[in-house]
Amino acid sequence: MSDDLPDKFDLIVIGTGFPESCIAAAASRIGKTVLHIDPHEYYGGVWASFNLESFCALLEYGNGSDIKNTKQKWYINEQLNPEMGAEVGNSNSDSETHAMAEDTVVRKPIDQQWSREKLLQQSRRFNLDLSPKILYSAGPLVQLLVSSNICRYAEFRAVDRVCTKFQNQIINVPCSRSDVFNTKDLNIVEKRLLMKFLSQCLAFGEDKTEEDTLLYRGKTFREYLQEQKVTEKIRTCVMQAIAMSTDETPFEVGIGRTQQFLGSLGRYGNTPFLFPMYGCGEIPQCFCRLCAVFGGIYCLKRNIDDIIVEADTNIANVVLEGKTIKAQHVVSAPCHIPTVLLERNVGIYGQGELVNSLSRGIFLSAEPLGSEELNSGGGGVNLLRLLADTREAILIQLSHFSGTCPKGIYLFHLTTAAQTDQPEQDLAPFVAQIFNTETDDALKLLYSAYFTIMGRKSTSSTPRVDVSTPIFCTSAPSYELDYDNAIINAREIFTKLYADAEFLPRAPDPEEIVIEGEDPRALSENSLPDDLREQLRELEKSAEHMDIEDTEGTSVIEINQVESESQQMDAE
Amino acid sequence: MHGRLKVRTTEEERERKKKEQALKVKAYRAAMVKIQEKRLSHELDGEMLLLTSQILLRNPDVSTLWNIRRECAEQIVLKTEDLEEQQAIFETELNFSEQCLLVNPKSYNCWHHRCWILEHSPKPNWEREVQLCTKYLKMDERNFHTWDYRRYVVEKANIPKQSELDFCTEKIKVNFSNYSSWHHRSLLLPLLYPYEGEAQPKRAMSEEKLQNELEMVLTAAFTDPNDSSAWFYQRWLLGYSRQELDVCAFRCNNKHAMLAFTNPLILDAKDVAITNSEGTVIIKLTNWHSINKTKADNVWFFSLTDNAISYKEFPKEAFLEINRSDISLKKIILKTYKESLFYFKSPNQQHAFSKNVLNELQSQLESCESLLEYEPDSKWTLLTSALLMHAIDAQKYHNKSLENLEKLQKVDALRENYYKDLASRWILEKFLLNWMDSDAVPYELDLRSENLNALYYSQYLCIADKLLLPNNLTNYSSMKQLQGFSIFEY
Repeated sequence: MSDDLPDKFDLIVIGTGFPESCIAAAASRIGKTVLHIDPHEYYGGVWASFNLESFCALLEYGNGSDIKNTKQKWYINEQLNPEMGAEVGNSNSDSETHAMAEDTVVRKPIDQQWSREKLLQQSRRFNLDLSPKILYSAGPLVQLLVSSNICRYAEFRAVDRVCTKFQNQIINVPCSRSDVFNTKDLNIVEKRLLMKFLSQCLAFGEDKTEEDTLLYRGKTFREYLQEQKVTEKIRTCVMQAIAMSTDETPFEVGIGRTQQFLGSLGRYGNTPFLFPMYGCGEIPQCFCRLCAVFGGIYCLKRNIDDIIVEADTNIANVVLEGKTIKAQHVVSAPCHIPTVLLERNVGIYGQGELVNSLSRGIFLSAEPLGSEELNSGGGGVNLLRLLADTREAILIQLSHFSGTCPKGIYLFHLTTAAQTDQPEQDLAPFVAQIFNTETDDALKLLYSAYFTIMGRKSTSSTPRVDVSTPIFCTSAPSYELDYDNAIINAREIFTKLYADAEFLPRAPDPEEIVIEGEDPRALSENSLPDDLREQLRELEKSAEHMDIEDTEGTSVIEINQVESESQQMDAE
Repeated sequence: MHGRLKVRTTEEERERKKKEQALKVKAYRAAMVKIQEKRLSHELDGEMLLLTSQILLRNPDVSTLWNIRRECAEQIVLKTEDLEEQQAIFETELNFSEQCLLVNPKSYNCWHHRCWILEHSPKPNWEREVQLCTKYLKMDERNFHTWDYRRYVVEKANIPKQSELDFCTEKIKVNFSNYSSWHHRSLLLPLLYPYEGEAQPKRAMSEEKLQNELEMVLTAAFTDPNDSSAWFYQRWLLGYSRQELDVCAFRCNNKHAMLAFTNPLILDAKDVAITNSEGTVIIKLTNWHSINKTKADNVWFFSLTDNAISYKEFPKEAFLEINRSDISLKKIILKTYKESLFYFKSPNQQHAFSKNVLNELQSQLESCESLLEYEPDSKWTLLTSALLMHAIDAQKYHNKSLENLEKLQKVDALRENYYKDLASRWILEKFLLNWMDSDAVPYELDLRSENLNALYYSQYLCIADKLLLPNNLTNYSSMKQLQGFSIFEY
């Protein structure tokens, strides 16, 4: 297969994670020839999504590079216990149908509704993200998807609720106007104060000389909040869920985040957030699709043996399973840089020591988290930011509406910045806050998994970057809600490669593309939208057997042609 | 350049679009010509339906074509006796109009077409229409076409009013910035919870519900004071409905009589008489004229010269009797002034709300006041607290509510005259209330020292002998009602 590949590219990208796919698409979009390789057999790298079976296999056997410290546990039996079934009056054979109609009968304990076998039967309904993200509706990724016209490849669900912990309760954060209107927790004056506070935050900084701005410069956001006329509950909501801050967050940062939150409200749904349907693994693939449309070539399951830089030309020779392919530049995901290359100790842009980047937990349950009110309509995508001492974690609850798990199952993603190589230990203080196993009404888990996502961090022993290096290394996913850092990283590398080129300008829609040899001014039937094409055909058919002077219609076209021709001549 | 995509330039694209447009125009004209021809030859058949549908699907607002479709449907239906077949024809029309609604959910023609179909089809499914509205209101909860149509089909489907109210409440919870849903409530609540108290003008709904509604609407208003829909609903709740028809002033001497009503009406010859305490008719007042010489008026004049009567013939205790079904107060006790009889009831006299509502209003007023501490210039809050004060006790809060209106003239200068007019109304209300109990009634009405921007309630002033207007209002002096009772000539 490798033999069929051209032996020269402008850019070779190794790894199909988010920043790599982003760069590949951007390069391809400006006419560069791109070869996009992934040593794995799936798209997305550490940004991928898996069905349940593949995910379990990944954790069981590891993938040898970017996922480490894996651990998984089932809390339910391999199969539904037939005896238990008999006890509640069900014969073994129809236990399945009874489980389906459970609402009408007495609710069975969870371990009798679900078995490992039953979950794995629905394996393909799962899309388990390695790096789950939530998008601000007006955030950088949404902007990029819209401005580059890549959004047509993706589908989203508005996040249903933003939650926070207040006095050991999970509460809904009233963030939109209708939330504030409907909440029973605030009296009308408090409602007005909250709304006023929020609109004040939104207008903040428009006038730099404003008294408040000067007054709080250098102070923390918490100090600012404490001086506002808002109640403790509102303060908690704002601190934890809206401004996404901690006690130490500086005032300016807190205000900035509050503005980002508010600026994303009212676009789609009731919260300022979006979640990609079928998981975040879809996002890098959208970029790959664009790259391919513009001629990028894709090869999965290919190993890179080595990359040799020609000293005189600075051209990279990528050794791909024995075959050498030349490239002006190479961009690689952090864990796919060949060991032999690293051992030669050459300076690579963005390189560093392999470190634990994110500690991740994935949990499955048959119940949603929090009160019924927080999960009305069968639960949806809920977001909860958790704090423990100085550390924080993000919890995302997903229901089947997001296309990431089967009906009746709730999927929880917990993410924090890695402290150790023990993800379970890193996440323990947060897990204790949500799945408190000691109380009776605790959420019953079906399955849990822990793993670490690896990244690179430059240290004193990292070789100095050779300014002329044609090899660039992207960053692993960092601890952040949205894709801000990942986009900055991709854009930065793209600018290093092609300083003057535009990063992902709007891609044309199919009907705007001219097929070779076609007159670009002609009205091609194929380029019309389907419905219009059909209707025109019908209309023409019905007009066919009519005696009408269609001279008027045709003459319009002729006049236009004459006009535009003369305009063209004028321009010349 | 191999493998690179070529994209049309904007110029090329523009030209292509023009061609596309021309093609569409051609197709449209062809179809229209054909349709006209067929119509002239009365070919209202399936082909006609097809032709019109092709155009309507692109542009559902061609009324002519909808009319033609209705003619077609009627013709086609005539061909069969079978109800099932007839129903099927209407069903097709119904489905078609729904397709058009997807193109333009605010098409008057489409919604009207549906009404027509349902009225004509043998088995209209009204419940399905209600569900359709629910679906459309989910897409756009502010589409007033859908709300209007919903009221129509809900009535036909006999949907309980309570469930409609619940639906409406849900919509307000989603987005309260919605005139349509507030309006929907205002139609449902008075029917569901009619007012049974004594107050005049009548409250819109039962005191208990009124209290709930006031609470809800103020929550909306406080959540977003810049949204006017909630404030308008609140004003309606606070009794800014049209005043009940009532007699507001009457005067009669041996020459003529003047009778004024709150609202214009057509006064009939048989309607009015003066009686004594035994109910014996002393004088029948039959020959009334509208003083503005209009058919309906709120001030009526009667000349006694034909059947002259002297003052002495007036009974000691005289009553004005009105025999009209639309006036609740039938027998009015008259007072005496010099050689005349008169009656006067000052405008918009506040009747106490029930204790609960009054408490609610009071607490709303307090909320407004505490809000004004933080936002002293908030327009809607200033206006609302003025309205609340006026509703709670216009007399007690008179000066304070006027202060708010004065402040509003500054913070909302664009509506300066609106506030001035409102203040004038309140000032005159208070003035007339005092005048009613003063020695000057009905002799002299001296408004010269009042700060009025406009003259409201002019019909109330017709019984005064002498009317003194402030300098800025002299342009009103030509009004017939203000000529002065004793010198008035028809």
